[in-house]
This record gives sequence, structure tokens and C-alpha cells, in this order.
Amino acid sequence: MERKIRVLVAKPGLDGHDRGALVVAQALRDGGLEVVYTGLRQTPAQIVNAAIQEDVEFIGLSCLSGAHNELFPEVVRLLKEKGADDIIVFGGGVIPQEDIPFLESQGIKKIFTPGTPTQEAVDFVYQHAKGKAMTFTKPPKQIAHIGIAVKSIDAALPFYYEQLGLQLLGTEVVESEQVKVAFLGIGETRFELLEPLSPESPIAKFIEKRGEGIHHIALDVDNIDERLANLKANGVQLINETPKDGAHGARIAFLHPKAAGGVLFELCQYPADNGGQGHE
Amino acid sequence: MSNKDFTQIYQEWQQQVAGRLAKSPERKERFTTSSDIEVERLYVPENIDDAYMENIGLPGEYPYTRGVQPTMYRGRLWTMRQYAGFGSAEETNKRFRYLLEQGQTGLSVAFDLPTQIGYDSDDPMATGEVGKVGVAIDSLEDMETLLAHIPLDKVSTSMTINAPASVLLAMYIAVAEKQGVTSEKLSGTIQNDILKEYIARGTYIFPPKPSMRLITDIFAYCAEHVPKWNTISISGYHIREAGASAVQEVAFTLADGIAYVEAALQAGLDIDKFAPQLSFFFNAHNNFFEEIAKFRAARRIWARLMRERYNAKNPKSWQFRVHTQTGGSTLTAQQPDNNIVRVTMQALAAVLGGTQSLHTNSRDEALALPTEDSARIALRTQQIIGYESGVTDTVDPLAGSYYIENLTDQLELRVLEYMEKIEKMGGAVSAVEAGYMQREIHKQSYDTQRKIESGEEIVVGMNKFRIENEPQPDLLRVDPSLGQKQKEKLEELRGRRDNQLVDQTLNRLREGAKGTDNLMPLILDCVRAYATIGEICGVLRQEFGEYRAV
Repeated sequence: MERKIRVLVAKPGLDGHDRGALVVAQALRDGGLEVVYTGLRQTPAQIVNAAIQEDVEFIGLSCLSGAHNELFPEVVRLLKEKGADDIIVFGGGVIPQEDIPFLESQGIKKIFTPGTPTQEAVDFVYQHAKGKAMTFTKPPKQIAHIGIAVKSIDAALPFYYEQLGLQLLGTEVVESEQVKVAFLGIGETRFELLEPLSPESPIAKFIEKRGEGIHHIALDVDNIDERLANLKANGVQLINETPKDGAHGARIAFLHPKAAGGVLFELCQYPADNGGQGHE
Repeated sequence: MSNKDFTQIYQEWQQQVAGRLAKSPERKERFTTSSDIEVERLYVPENIDDAYMENIGLPGEYPYTRGVQPTMYRGRLWTMRQYAGFGSAEETNKRFRYLLEQGQTGLSVAFDLPTQIGYDSDDPMATGEVGKVGVAIDSLEDMETLLAHIPLDKVSTSMTINAPASVLLAMYIAVAEKQGVTSEKLSGTIQNDILKEYIARGTYIFPPKPSMRLITDIFAYCAEHVPKWNTISISGYHIREAGASAVQEVAFTLADGIAYVEAALQAGLDIDKFAPQLSFFFNAHNNFFEEIAKFRAARRIWARLMRERYNAKNPKSWQFRVHTQTGGSTLTAQQPDNNIVRVTMQALAAVLGGTQSLHTNSRDEALALPTEDSARIALRTQQIIGYESGVTDTVDPLAGSYYIENLTDQLELRVLEYMEKIEKMGGAVSAVEAGYMQREIHKQSYDTQRKIESGEEIVVGMNKFRIENEPQPDLLRVDPSLGQKQKEKLEELRGRRDNQLVDQTLNRLREGAKGTDNLMPLILDCVRAYATIGEICGVLRQEFGEYRAV
């Protein structure tokens, strides 16, 4: 079973007002997170120990007594001291706007002021949980290619030859996608003209719906398997959860356009001996 | 009962009032509206039946639905008592003396959290909290500074202190001694309501059983030595702030009240000796008519409980006397000036509900401690209601409104249902230990939050009618070096006092805590020897253990 993101909700100092902490804790739980609540009157040291022991990714601090400027930074400092500063700290309570820059400079990632909808705290955790996961893998190296859907490669090519002066590097048929592909080199990257070979081809459906034009952007990546697993764990919608074979012996997978504001991204991992994206 | 009987009863009541007025007249000889219509002291229905007399009755008379005094605010306005306290004892003393010079007769002391939880300012647990939400008191010396040049036989002082209430009361008595004022002359209130600390406010120290003992020790000691002192202020305020509904506020407060009464009776005290010293503390939130009805229902329920169930004979034992504070949690950090309007409505509800004293919140309390400007507007709000609105010119002006009377009855019914449930669990102490009230309140507060976030409940300026880029108001700042200064003072005191005497008195307190003697005199001795609050509570912590929330 998948491990839920874990959050420690904590009340540092002596303040006994825990209505807010309890409501946020419950909202985080309802939002699908696993929440541990420390109870009242915790010293920063107790909170940090609990966070490490409970193996949480986040600490949410609540303070209404005005002691936040002393107590919140101390939690961050102790996390660093214990080598647990990958734990993200956020906070809330009766905290004046003018204190927020100081608290942020001390390493508190976000301060929620009175009246903030609890959903914002839930969203914050998810967004930053994703951010954390991505730090384990390197960003994509470069754009491997830009895919352009065309009804006919023969009809499209003259523009690229004659008007842009690009060079055809080769063509290939990709059976799995029912497409014929023409590669045109441009600097470090390429255009790929994609022509459907049958009405069942995804490219045929694309053209039918939206007409010819830019179809996808492919990213040159390492460790495609791990990356897909991470994306999946972070709730990013995928078209291919496991890589399949693409052109040039690459292993490829598509992310769902919903995950990227309507842009279809493809991950491509080229065979190591091919020296990256494989300029033929 | 026929109309004639009522005429007789009403006449008797009027004669009684007339007798009182001879001694202490009302604020004016004649009350009128702007059109010179004469305003009567009391309006009653044309046809009075038994049900009216039983449930509503006359003001100053059982069951007190219409108020605890016969003339209410025509005689005297409620006490305007603003809760204050910040930083050091010196600063707070200066503020108190200023307020007294301005004609205020009651003080209300806010303590910082370390004091409220029995830690000295140099305790590691006190880090960051010294002087933040009130004044820091470590020893009798700080209390002497706090009360310097204030005549304790002339002012009444309300102290918001619970778990270590005995210690602070002892310090107050000890300062009075030094002024040559005997404890019989002292008047004031300690909050001393530990049950609501477990339920909602969080400044508990010891487990319920020894805490209840400390409380009944205070009841017994004060009945004999400090007779004018309100020994407890049984508080629904914080229960409401934690998210409870109006019904829950009344039900849990009165259930707590019963627990204190039972504990005192078990300790062998006479009901009519301690019950007149019990007082209550309510919230005033936004739902205007329900808030008004809440006070009326609570008075009726408490009077009946005390007379019928506990056979109290002294009418003072039947009276539900209440201090009210407007609802802090209803204030928004957004567009804080709007809070002035909220506070006005809430304060008006408390007045129409018949409160004995009132604290109005400041507009900036969702952001920080109030600035002087904000605190002044809050006080002015009460004064405008009191002196300009005319709502104070007749007693219980909303009585007889179909809506108000119906709400009063319905609240009573629902409160009694809740109280019965708590009774079945073995009373408030057991219910608290089982976490029952805490869970009920949390359910209610989460439900409210959901409604606000879905827009079903509208909070003006927060989830509707917002403005972008609000200007930030000026806020009060507490001197951050205070913690250090307080530490230095403590160190110096520990070097200077008679430490042998301190140890002796602390040891005697330890022995007392093991047995059943009244602890008040022992705590007084510790205090007189300049033992610190942390040392005194430290001994009791060792003997009683500490409460851990469920």
C-alpha cells in the first residue's frame, strides 16, 4: 500500500488555544494525509523529537500567544541540528503580517494567517510534497524533440526543406503508435513530423479533433522508470505508467495533458551507448 | 393563580423596590424617550398566569429570568471591566494607577502563560512566553510591585488565574497585609475554574482530583477569612471560544458549576455559605436573540437547581451572577474595523441579557494584543450602549417577545438534555476525563469551519465582501527583553531571601499536600517567605502529578 504523507501538528509553548490546531489537523486528515497531533505545551525540542520519531514530512505549528517569533525559528534550528531539515515547517495562529518576512527568513516555509480556508493548508502540503519528491531526480536534460502532427509527411516536408532550410535526418515507422516519423535536425534538438498510418493511430484522432499542428514535446530524461514511479506517487496523471518502445530504441512514456495545463509531454530515455538522444 | 393574586404580588414587589430606592435611588428620577414618553421600570403582560410567574416572574425574584436585581440598569449600569495586563509588573501597575485615577474602581489582571501554568520566568518551559499575554508574576515581590500604591481595601480586583489560583490569591492577601488591610476587607474574583481548563482553555497543571481539592480549600478558607471574595468564576467563555454552540456553552458551564457545588458539599461546606460567592462568566457571540435568551435561560436553570435540588435557602445562593466578554473568535483579521460593529452587537446582547459586568473586545485582537486606541474604542462602545441607547431605562425590555421567550424555553430544554447526559456519565469531572465535552466542542467547531469554507455561513470581509491589499494596522508589541530582565530579578531574589525559611515552608506544604489539611494557610506561608510560584507549584506537581490531556 502507498504510504500517506505524514504531518505533525504541534502546539509549541504554553498557549492552550487548540481550536485552530484541531480543525487544521482534521482538515488535513480529511484531505488524505496522515496527521499526528502533539497535544498542548510542547517545547521545540519535544516537537522535533516527535517529528523524527513519527517520520513526518511536515510540521504544522500553531501559536496564539505571541511567542511565535521565539518558538517557530527554534523548531527549524533544532531540525537542522539533528539533520532533519528536509522536514518542511509551516505555521499559523495570531501572527501579524509584519512578522511573516522574519519567520520566512528563519526557514518557516509558510505562515497561514487567521481566516485562511483550511483547504489552503491541504494544498500547500501536497504541492510541497511533490516538490520534495522531485528533488530526488534530476530535471530533464533538454527537449528531445517537438512532435508535429501532419496528414502527410511528403506534403509537409518541402516547407521545412525549402523555407527553413532544415535537414531530414531520416524516417522511421513506429508500429506501436501506428505512425510514420520524419526527423529534422535543429541545433541540439529535432522536429518530428508524425503521419498516421491508420485511423486507429492516436495521431489520426488528434488531427481529426484539432487539425494539424504541434502535438507534443518530448523531454530527454534519465531513469525513466523511477521518474514515472515518483510522478505516480505524487498524483500526476499518466497516459503510460510503464515505459514502452519508441523510435531510435528509446524508452518512452506520455504524461496526461491534464497534468500540464493542456500540454502533452513525452519522457524519452535513450540507450546509454547512444550518447543521449542519438544524432544519427 | 388569579389576576388578583398577581396584582398583590406585583404591589408587594413595587413596595419592596420603593423601600430600596429610598436608600439607593435610580440613576434618574424620571426616565423618558426622546419624545418624552415616560419609561416604566418594568413592563408586564396584561394577564398574568401561573406559568408566567413560574417561568418568567419579576426581576430580582426567583427564578430570576428577568434579571438578578429588581431595577437592573436603572439603578446602576453594569461594571465596565476591561481585562488588561502586559509585560512587567511595573508597566501594568502604571496602567492600573492611571485607570484608577480616571475613576475606574475595578481592576482585571491578565497574567502571562508561565504564571498561569505555575512556571517561573526562568523555567525552560517559559521560553518566549514571559510577559506575552499578561503580566509576569514570579514571587510576592512582583505582586508588591503590581499593586504598589493601590489601596486594596478600596478596589475590587479580578484575576484570571486558575490552576495556581491559591498562590495568586495568597500573594494578594499577603500584599494587603503589608498595606495593613485585613483579608476580610478584600473584594475581587479569581477565575479558579479548572474544569473548563481541561475542556477548552488549556492552562491546567494537576489532575482533576487534587485540583478540585485546591478549589474547595479556597471556598472554605474564603468563607471564613475573605468573605467578600468571589471564589470562582465558572466560565463558559472559553468553551464557546473553542467552538461550542450557545447551548453547549450553557450546558457545560452549569454542569461544571454542579461539579464544584458537589465537591464543596462533599468537603463538608454549607451550601448557603459558599454558593453566594459563586459567579459565572459567559461569552456574547453574534446570533443576537439567541445570545440574549441564553442569559435568561441560564439564570432560570441555575436558580431552580440551587433551590430545588440543593435546598439552598439564601436567595443569593440562587442568583446566577455573570460577567460577560464579547466573542474573540468572531473577530476577523481582515478589515479589523468591522470588528467594532460585531463587538457592539454582542455587547448589546449581553446588556439585553442582563449581565453584571462586561468586557468588550478590541478590534485588533485577531492580530495582537490591543493598542491603546483600540482598547479605548472598545470601552466607548459600552459607554455608548449604557448612556446613549436607552436600552438601560427599563428592566429586561425584550421579555414577552414571542421569539425571545420561545428561544429561552428551547435553550433551557436543550441545555437540560445535555446536562442529563453529563449527569449519566457521572458528572462533569468524569465527562471531562473521558474527553466528552472536548469531542462535542470539536465536532461543532469543525462543522462551523466547513460551513464558513463552503460559504454557507458568511463572515463579512473574510469569505465574502473581501478587499484586496488591505492596509496593515499598527499593533502593540511586547518588549522582547522582558524575559531576560525577569530572569535576572529572580536570580537576585533567590540570593537575597531567607532560603532556609523558604525550604521550611515548602516542606510543610509538601506534608500538607500528602494529607487533607486546607492548603491555603500553608501556601500563604510559602508566599510570605518569597517562595516563587514555580517552587510552590513544583512541590504540588511532585505530590499531585500533572494532568495529561486525553
